Amino acid sequence: MNTSVKKRSMAAEVWQRLCRNKMAMLGLGILVIMILGAIFADVIADYDTMVVAQDMKNRLQGPSAEHWFGTDEFGRDIFARILHGSRVSLVVGLISVSVSLIIGGSLGAFAGFYGGRVDNVIMRIMDIFLAVPSILLAMTIVAALGTDLIYVMLAIGVSGVPTYARIVRAAVMSVKDQEFVESARAIGASSPTIIFREILPNCMAPIIVQATLSVAGAILSTASLSFIGLGVQPPAPEWGAMLSSGRSYLRDAMHITLFPGLAIVITILALNLLGDGLRDALDPRLKQ
Amino acid sequence: MADKQYSVEINDLAVRFSTVDGVVHAINGVDLKIEKGKTLGLVGETGAGKTTTALSILRLIPNPPGEITSGSIVLEGKNVFEYSEKEMENIRGKQVSMIFQDPMTSLNPVITIGDQIAEVIQLHEKIDAKGALEKAKEMLELVGIPGTRAGEYPHQFSGGMKQRVIIAMALVCNPQLLIADEPTTALDVTIQAQVLDLMQKLREKYGTSMLMITHDLGIVAEVCDEVSIMYAGRIVEHGTLEDIFDHTSHPYTEGLFGSLPNIEKRTEALKPIPGLMPDPTNLPEGCPFHPRCKYATELCKTRMPVKTDLSDTHSVRCLAYEEGTGVTLGGEKA
Amino acid sequence: MHKYVIKRLLMLIPVILGVSFLVFFIMSLSPGDPARTILGENAPQESVDALRDELGLNDPVVVQYARYMGDLLHGDLGESYKSGRPVFGEIASRFPATLKLAFWGMVFAVVLSIPIGIISATKQYSITDSISMVFALLGVATPNFWLGLMLIIAFSLHLRWFPSGGADAGWKSLVLPVITLGTGCMANITRTTRSSMLEVIRQDYIRTAKAKGVSHNKVINRHALKNALIPVVTVIGLQFGSLLGGAVLTEAVFAWPGIGTFLVNSIKAKDTPAVLGCVIVFSICFSIVNLCVDLLYAYIDPRIKSKYK
Repeated sequence: MNTSVKKRSMAAEVWQRLCRNKMAMLGLGILVIMILGAIFADVIADYDTMVVAQDMKNRLQGPSAEHWFGTDEFGRDIFARILHGSRVSLVVGLISVSVSLIIGGSLGAFAGFYGGRVDNVIMRIMDIFLAVPSILLAMTIVAALGTDLIYVMLAIGVSGVPTYARIVRAAVMSVKDQEFVESARAIGASSPTIIFREILPNCMAPIIVQATLSVAGAILSTASLSFIGLGVQPPAPEWGAMLSSGRSYLRDAMHITLFPGLAIVITILALNLLGDGLRDALDPRLKQ
Repeated sequence: MADKQYSVEINDLAVRFSTVDGVVHAINGVDLKIEKGKTLGLVGETGAGKTTTALSILRLIPNPPGEITSGSIVLEGKNVFEYSEKEMENIRGKQVSMIFQDPMTSLNPVITIGDQIAEVIQLHEKIDAKGALEKAKEMLELVGIPGTRAGEYPHQFSGGMKQRVIIAMALVCNPQLLIADEPTTALDVTIQAQVLDLMQKLREKYGTSMLMITHDLGIVAEVCDEVSIMYAGRIVEHGTLEDIFDHTSHPYTEGLFGSLPNIEKRTEALKPIPGLMPDPTNLPEGCPFHPRCKYATELCKTRMPVKTDLSDTHSVRCLAYEEGTGVTLGGEKA
Repeated sequence: MHKYVIKRLLMLIPVILGVSFLVFFIMSLSPGDPARTILGENAPQESVDALRDELGLNDPVVVQYARYMGDLLHGDLGESYKSGRPVFGEIASRFPATLKLAFWGMVFAVVLSIPIGIISATKQYSITDSISMVFALLGVATPNFWLGLMLIIAFSLHLRWFPSGGADAGWKSLVLPVITLGTGCMANITRTTRSSMLEVIRQDYIRTAKAKGVSHNKVINRHALKNALIPVVTVIGLQFGSLLGGAVLTEAVFAWPGIGTFLVNSIKAKDTPAVLGCVIVFSICFSIVNLCVDLLYAYIDPRIKSKYK
């Protein structure tokens, strides 16, 4: 009972500190607008008629009152496509980070908790994953499995596993010898119970920060894969694929490339601002 | 009296820090004088403004947030606030040097100790790099570290050894004034005595004056000639060792002695000072010590005491010693 | 120190074995039949089966892997399904172009980021600091392939200063790809340098140096910088990984004749030996850079060096 009160007040304190950080609030504001846009995308712009249906009469038009961001080479409204594309980005971002978090977090927790040989084996395998630059690992996985969205998410998720394994391992090792864990052990709690009930909640701070930042990384990776043709396939709207398709029209219709790119920049910027803000709010010692 | 030579004279120094939580009034009118070759002890609790006073002498108050709002610090007849930054660099380490509290963090981890000592020699003396390193090695020998270890890095030394290195660094250019900011607080008790002994020996050898910042009255009794007691950014009592120890006048000083365990009379209970230092962003009206003073009266809550001279050497800031205030300290009217 | 270097070099071997197995295993999950890919849709089943036998595709993955590794020891990365030429030669002929791009990208990033980071930290909250931090934030958030396209629009289509692709125009063709590749790293290293420097200049030993009479510039250059560089070097090593990944995209944008372009084309052509070869070469490069970073680390930080004496 006592701890839950303490936890809530700690969360409130973190929230208060976060609110004082203008940049983090800016990031959070942008994200809230984006999420609302993604949720109500169908209300704002119908998928079938506006996002995928071609309208060759109106192709390559510049921004206007009717088409805020102009139209693409098939006459589709770019604003509507960006709006629907945010669904893809957010979903891929969240799911792939969940994949990394669940797999990497469990591996890291077991490595940190048991130490010794378990730790050694797990972490050496992670070293091998880390030796492959993450976007290349994702490319390889997508190249082997195919470009379905599910494989893209899996690929990006797997390439993020070692990061979480390391963070969670370090966090577990730093808390596992503290008294509350000793006392849980003393009353006979089993090891997995201790890891998930006692230790993980106590190393949430670095995980939350990393998760925020890696959603940004995942969105960037998705766009990168789609850009070279390995991600989301047309006609589905995806930011990286959209700006890639604008490459042939750089001279006369740069808006096709410009706006999806700006969408990526703003989203990643917002997530990074929020992530930085969370880091400062969760660990005030680090703040200058 | 007038022909006394002072190595430093601080008059009415005030320093404040602007922080997000408000303005911290760290020092509020401090006067200090250290006679040449003598040692002054500056005693007080953590947060009383001792270190800020010391850093002001070297003009090392970080600005922003720190700001010196009034007062003067006279070194060798000239106010340090009138020096250029360049002149100040020549004073630091040469005329005035400082030993810091935590030897573990006060040495640069990526530079050999020999180079760190040699650097201060090269800055202030006309000598080449090789000669400076030689002199650094001699200085190391003097503080009891083999000169052959000059090429080692700080992490290869223990805390006491590091403090010896810092002492070597501080004294190698033969400064007129040495500021020692709690030089032994971070050390083991047995090492403390060695380090203090070393400092005393070197100080006597070079005729250096010293400002010894401490909260340990035992150290004061051992090394100081005069003592200033500091509370909430003010000097509340000042006198010779004898004045302070045998004619304790300010209730705060009395409290400090009451907080010391008495080894001879172990049955005697400690008399700690109740409460904490006041919040320096929000100092109380009147005498800043009144919330913790057992003799406090209504007048103490509104009237700020002024400096009262009890003798040529002894002064105090307490209403009980001012004429006509009616404040007394436990019946025995001073 | 020599012992440490040799030990670290030996530690590369299991990592390379692991990486090659990992990539080999992933590629073996591929549902398509390479023999069918090589011979085309209309080839008769008999010749496809014959080719499968010839390529050893009917053996278990582990056997295939063992054979592949045996060849790798002789510098043989197999033959490209697409061109039929040895993958080793294909990669070796493209390696210099990628190396050139990555090297100058890193130089661009490091040479600009460290001074900017230091100036930002020493003038915290100044206009200079704010401007460079805004640019650093944007630099981290900008996808390099998009930046590349924007640079092409501005500097080759409109201003016509630099070519929009290829590597035929000497240093001129290197400018835009290097900026494209280096900007993200530069932004990251700038941020790390700044925060590391801010951390260091608050340390007690900086105050000690000032109390010794060391001038402001010397405090920064001699006392603070070397300490502040320790985390920066780590980040540079980590950034090299994303630099290699970024090189693939940058090459794709500028049609740069390097391994990245080759890799993307090979992936699209389902050319497994070529993909494997590229990823393994990239990973070996990354591991070697990380080794160099660790050695540099020991050089900067005596606390680490003394551990390995």
